[in-house]
Amino acid sequence: MEEDEFIGEKTFQRCCAEFIKHSQQIGDSWEWRPSKDCSDGYMCKIHFQIKNEPVMSHPGTSTHGQTCLPMEEAFELPSDDCEVIEAPAASQVIKYEYHVLYSCSYQVPVLYFRASFLDGRPLTLKDIWEGVHEFYKTRLLQGPWDTITQQEHPILGQPFFVLHPCKTNEFMTPVLKNSRKINKNVNYITSWLSIVGPVVGLNLPLSYAKATSQDE
Amino acid sequence: MAEEPQSVFQLPPSSAAGGEGLPEVSPEITTPEPPSSAAVSPGTEEPAGDTKKKIDILLKAVGDTPIMKTKKWAVERTRTIQGLIDFIKKFLKLVASEQLFIYVNQSFAPSPDQEVGTLYECFGSDGKLVLHYCKSQAWG
Repeated sequence: MEEDEFIGEKTFQRCCAEFIKHSQQIGDSWEWRPSKDCSDGYMCKIHFQIKNEPVMSHPGTSTHGQTCLPMEEAFELPSDDCEVIEAPAASQVIKYEYHVLYSCSYQVPVLYFRASFLDGRPLTLKDIWEGVHEFYKTRLLQGPWDTITQQEHPILGQPFFVLHPCKTNEFMTPVLKNSRKINKNVNYITSWLSIVGPVVGLNLPLSYAKATSQDE
Repeated sequence: MAEEPQSVFQLPPSSAAGGEGLPEVSPEITTPEPPSSAAVSPGTEEPAGDTKKKIDILLKAVGDTPIMKTKKWAVERTRTIQGLIDFIKKFLKLVASEQLFIYVNQSFAPSPDQEVGTLYECFGSDGKLVLHYCKSQAWG
């Protein structure tokens, strides 16, 4: 009688390890950070992005190709082919930090994130909401507090934005059930992050999808 | 628009920006092989489809999601996942509060801006790209 699909903390850590292994192979810069007593920990990634430049509609720019690249490379993309050739002002660069933690109470992973300008000024919750991908914006604005809130990071004790985990099982369960039917090995973290990441500007390169099946 | 069952439907033109009129260029950075107009690209797993503007997509429902009567569609390579999701939602008459996810490899959700042509290059086989879709009441 399986209803919702939860994952235990050990499975969480194992999936993160596999995820990071692939990240290292493609230079995606995710890393594991153990907590002080090393009993648990979290995955972490930092990337930089130019604010309010959608990087679209420039012929010749492989915009869509960027989703297959580590985000750092997207920032450093040479401007040879771009029509707009100017360095972004420092004030326009935003540092994003994404953390994947395990929630014991929900028994699912949770995405924490924060963003700041290079001078250290943090983005506000309003800035964050405005930065959510257009595709998800309507739903977000219907119930923003259901979706992105601000909470204290369980390990670092600092304020982070959090993508609320209460609905995680709703969208993960069908995927897991379906793959179980065909005996397919699925990395929970990869699947989950591919779904939640884009809401807050984190796009996983497609190679993660292939990595999972190769592990079988 | 067409309601007669055919084996392959043409997806209506995308109204989203960038959907139409773009040159037939595969993003060079993402495909494992450089784009070529030759009939066969060395090393690709799937049969040559590089020169076709449209790719065949097979849509499969997951969970309690309604099954589309027409499962096989010809889609322009430049159509994004977002565009495809919007289309399926309209086709299935989902309400705005219902979210639809699309997966490749039955496990991975490409980001909304991802082009189906790229997905075809990476995950297509037997001349088509199989995508699973799943409805969810969860946050959008």
